[in-house]
This record gives sequence, structure tokens and C-alpha cells, in this order.
Amino acid sequence: MSEIDNLLTKKVADRYLKREVLGEGTYGVVYKAIDTKTNQTVAIKKIRLGKQKEGVNFTALREIKLLKELKDPNIIELIDAFPHKGNLHLVFEFMESDLEAVIRDRNIVLSPADVKSYLQMTLKALAFCHKKWVLHRDMKPNNLLIGADGQLKLGDFGLARIFGSPDRRFTHQVFARWYRAPELLFGTKQYGPAVDIWGAGCVFAELLLRRPFLQGSSDIDQLGKIFAAFGTPKPAQWPDMVYLPDYVEYQYVPAPPLRSLFPMASDDALDLLSKMFTYDPKARITAQQALEHRYFTSPPAPTNPASLPRPPRKGESIPKAPEINPTDGPTVLSPPRKLRRVMPNRTDGNEENVHNADKFDDHVGEGRTAGATSSRNDSVPMSIDFSVFGSRPPPRPTINR
Amino acid sequence: MDPEDIDVVQPLDRERGISLEDFKLIKMHMSNYITKLAQNVKVRQRVVATAITYMRRVYTRRGLTEFDPRLVAPTCLYLAAKAEESTVQARLLVFYIKKMYPEDIRYRFEIKDILEMEMKILEALNYYLVVFHPYRSLTQFLQDAGMMDLMQFTWGIVNDTYKMDLILIHPPHLIALACIYIASVSKEKDSIAWFEELRVDMNVVKNISMEILDFYDNMMNNIEERINIAFSKLPLRSA
Repeated sequence: MSEIDNLLTKKVADRYLKREVLGEGTYGVVYKAIDTKTNQTVAIKKIRLGKQKEGVNFTALREIKLLKELKDPNIIELIDAFPHKGNLHLVFEFMESDLEAVIRDRNIVLSPADVKSYLQMTLKALAFCHKKWVLHRDMKPNNLLIGADGQLKLGDFGLARIFGSPDRRFTHQVFARWYRAPELLFGTKQYGPAVDIWGAGCVFAELLLRRPFLQGSSDIDQLGKIFAAFGTPKPAQWPDMVYLPDYVEYQYVPAPPLRSLFPMASDDALDLLSKMFTYDPKARITAQQALEHRYFTSPPAPTNPASLPRPPRKGESIPKAPEINPTDGPTVLSPPRKLRRVMPNRTDGNEENVHNADKFDDHVGEGRTAGATSSRNDSVPMSIDFSVFGSRPPPRPTINR
Repeated sequence: MDPEDIDVVQPLDRERGISLEDFKLIKMHMSNYITKLAQNVKVRQRVVATAITYMRRVYTRRGLTEFDPRLVAPTCLYLAAKAEESTVQARLLVFYIKKMYPEDIRYRFEIKDILEMEMKILEALNYYLVVFHPYRSLTQFLQDAGMMDLMQFTWGIVNDTYKMDLILIHPPHLIALACIYIASVSKEKDSIAWFEELRVDMNVVKNISMEILDFYDNMMNNIEERINIAFSKLPLRSA
């Protein structure tokens, strides 16, 4: 680090050299910093103290509590925590990108081996959480972070909690809607690790399709989308369903062949997918069982994380991009994100593009709270088809509403 | 943790004449205080147990002179309630503290005092907030042994163990077993066969039981007066 750099940066807590702001989350600013002790790049979340005079933010506290207990190569590491000028600061390992950026980047081709590798790391993270009695409750591609070494790590434990006591009742208002399991949509208060598996199944499907799989516009519509894809569950398939608090009978729809929804997937992939989307949470495959599924042992072998295709780095050199002009079309050296967001829409007119780019920036920050999750997700412009298959878009599930 | 690491009176406290006995009495009194305060704000036993554990952990690293126990106790309850997902508002705690000690200025705290102490406690705990308690294994053991009739009695003994540092020293399931052992002996239940089948080190269980019984004996002798003497050695308000 040069002298000038030292002058420009601010030292925090005698250990961290503050760099640029990465984003603004719901509970504070996230900035990049250098850990002078290890020379590692880190992300520091500054936790704003609540306006309601309630001390350390509840969501932040959950995250601290759980991440202190969860040390695993596939889970984001909480390196340090410290108070500074009356605010609590959390130090995380710096993650360059996330799976949502990978899925949406149409310059990236995901081979079946790549998809397998990403799913394996996702399931390893979940298996570890569940072994430690922690439910994540917010599975979605942009909470699956990607490090410089290509390792995928589960992040954002702001909705997570311990599920030890079997009789405890939890809120069903968890997960972004598109990743919410049917038992949650039917209002169950007693649920377990199976909810995370459903969410992981949605991520798996999204890796295969390169777009969100079940894009419901309301909770009712979400169930409709699920049933359109897998058929309306019969009580024999899921005996407890009819006793769930918000259960309503849906008109019977038969399941289309799963193969018709995922024409490119292997038989093993489809078999695992169907087990992750089993209606009855008691019968749904566990993370550990999923890791032992033959999908992971049959060829092709999962790609080594270091060789996985990745989008350009997160938050890198966005300001120095004067040469970018959307009408110039895609270039390989294009700066991350903004241009990428613009490209597929080039013909849609500029207003829309600017709009999307702005929305994207809201998501750079990591901080989110429970309440913000669902509404925020509604505004994610994910419905744009970023198909890698170019002119041939993947088939969407037929929806009969 | 080893008892040798827990039973350490910090230098500043020693200067004020606080003995190990005083230290233990003050922590016991603060445990009772947390329990009473918790009854007012109505939180689960689990939250109380976590709060007391936080308080005891804090005092393995910080002194009584440095961290005023009268403020540490309610703040631990505040933090434990949050960590156990049943938040209690700081203003509610402030209200009930005032109600419990209307005349005593040594117990006069504002919301901001609790919030400032919360941060200090988090740091003293090194941000480790998950605590396991004997209650869950207690229920399982009693069910397994077919001694559910001892539930209330043993539950009470488990609650009393939080007046000591046992939770910092022994695994929760062994504390549960020690409480069951005491209960079954005093109620003359034949539990020997059941304990033998568990394949746990009965010597450890018996030693924990002895510690609990010694503690009960010790409590008999004019405890109130001894607590008052111990508290008189504390500074009025820590800096």
C-alpha cells in the first residue's frame, strides 16, 4: 500500500483501512476495507443504532449470534466485530460476486458440471447449518456469495434462526416469495430444514433455466405457479396439507412431465430436483441426502470452484467507465453490472435501462431485514430473460391462470 | 471453563476489599434480581437463564468496579431477550427497575445507560450469544426414566443452579442429571438402575450434586446480611 493510499484511507479501530462504500443496506452502510493484520480485503457493515432506541439492531444481532457458531468453508465468515464511535461494526470476508450475477450474466455459459458445483456448495452450506440446528430461511441466488477463489458461501443470516425445540412456533413470513416452500405459503408455523431445501431447489432450477423458476406475483399466485409446475398435491401425497392454517383447495391441475420444464437437464439432475420439490416436507430430501444423491457421483464431475465461470468483480471500477456507451453493444471488457444490465434491453429504450441499473445498485448492499425481503424482491427486474441460449429461450412452465 | 478461571476477583475489586465470597454473593444476588425483573416483563425461563449466563460470563473477564452489576444485570436480560427472539423494550425494563427500587439512586438508570452497556457486554462476551441450558435434556431424561412426577421439583433445582456458576463449568445435560439425582434421592425414588444404563460418569454427576447441596447449606446462614456487606464494598456508580 502506498503512502498516498494511506492518506486517503481512514483507519478504523486501528486495524482496518477504510476504502470505498460498497452499498447501503437496511441497517447501515457496507464498505470495503483492508485488514492490516492479515492484508485481506474485507467488507465492513456498520450497524446503525435503531431510531426506536432499541440498541443493537435485532437482525444484526441474529446474524452475529449465528455466524459466531457457524464456521464452514461454504458459509460467510464473520471475521470480527467491534464498536466504533458508538456504532457496531461487523467484519466479513469480502465476496466478489453472487450467484444471481452469475445466473443473469449472459456472457457466462454454465456447463452441467458448473451447475453441479454451485449446487453442491449450496447444499454443503445448508447441510452444515442444519447439522448445527440453524434454519437459513432466506435462500435465493443473491444470498449465495462467490469469493475470489470461486468458493460459494451462504450469506445473510438476518432471517436465520435456531430450530432446536420441536414445539416452537415460527413466523411463516420468511424467504423471498419465489423461493418460499408450499407449507409456508399455506401458513405453517411449525416447520424445519425442509423449507431451506425447497429454496435450494428453486436455486437449482434457476441455474438450469437461467431465470427464476416460479415467479409468483402474490402468495396465492405463487402456489398457483407451484401447482402448475408439479401438479396440485393430493392429500395422499401430503397428508398434513389440509390441516395447515391458510389451506385452501385449489382446482386440480395435473403435473406436466418435469422433463418438459427442464429439457436440457440430465436424468439424475431431474431426479434430485423432483426430490427437493417433494410436497410433503417430511418426505422432502434432506441436504445431507441430497449430497449423497447419484447426481453428484455420476459424470460430469462438479467443476473445481477455482475454474467456475464468474462475472466481473462486484463494485469494481464502476466510476471509471467513461467510454461506456450502451449503443456500442457488448464488449468483453465491459465494466460489470451496469452495462450488462443494459445489454439485453438495448432495443427497449433507455429509460427502462436506467431504471433497471438503478434498481440493481440497491442490491449491492448486503443489509436486509425481514420486512424488506418480500416487497423488495417484487421489484427485482428478474423477469427479463437472460438466456444463454441466445435466440432459443428456455421454455417456461405453462401457467393456467 | 475451569473453576480456577471463574473464581478470580479482579485487582480493582480486590483493592476495594471484595473477597471471593463477596463476589459470589453479588453474582447470586444479581441472578435473583434478573429473575425478579424477568417476572415483571414476562419472559420465558430460557431468557432468564441466558441472561444470568451472560452476566456470569461477563464477570469472568470484567470486574465489579469496572462494570456496575446493578446495570449489567438488566442489560443482560435486555440482550438475552433479543438473542432468544423475544425482545423486551428497554423502556419497560427502566420502568420496572424504578418500580422495584423506587428510593434507591444506585438503581437509577435510563434507556441510554442500558444501550451503552449492551455494546460493552457484547464486547465482553466476545459476541458469543448462543447458550445451551439443562431444561431440554431435563424433560427428555425424566420422560425416559418415567419420573415425570419429579418435573416440578427438578425444574426448581435447575433454576437454583443459576445462583452459582455451574452453567459455566459443566455441560448442561450433566447439570440436569445432577438435579435429577438430588430429586430422586430426596424423594427416595429408586433410580440407580436407570442411571447405570445411561453410561455417564456418575462421579461427575455426584460431584455436581454435592456442589449444589453445599450451596443450599451455605444459603442457610444469615444470607441477607452477608449480601448487604458485600454490596457495601461496591463503588456508588462505576466510571
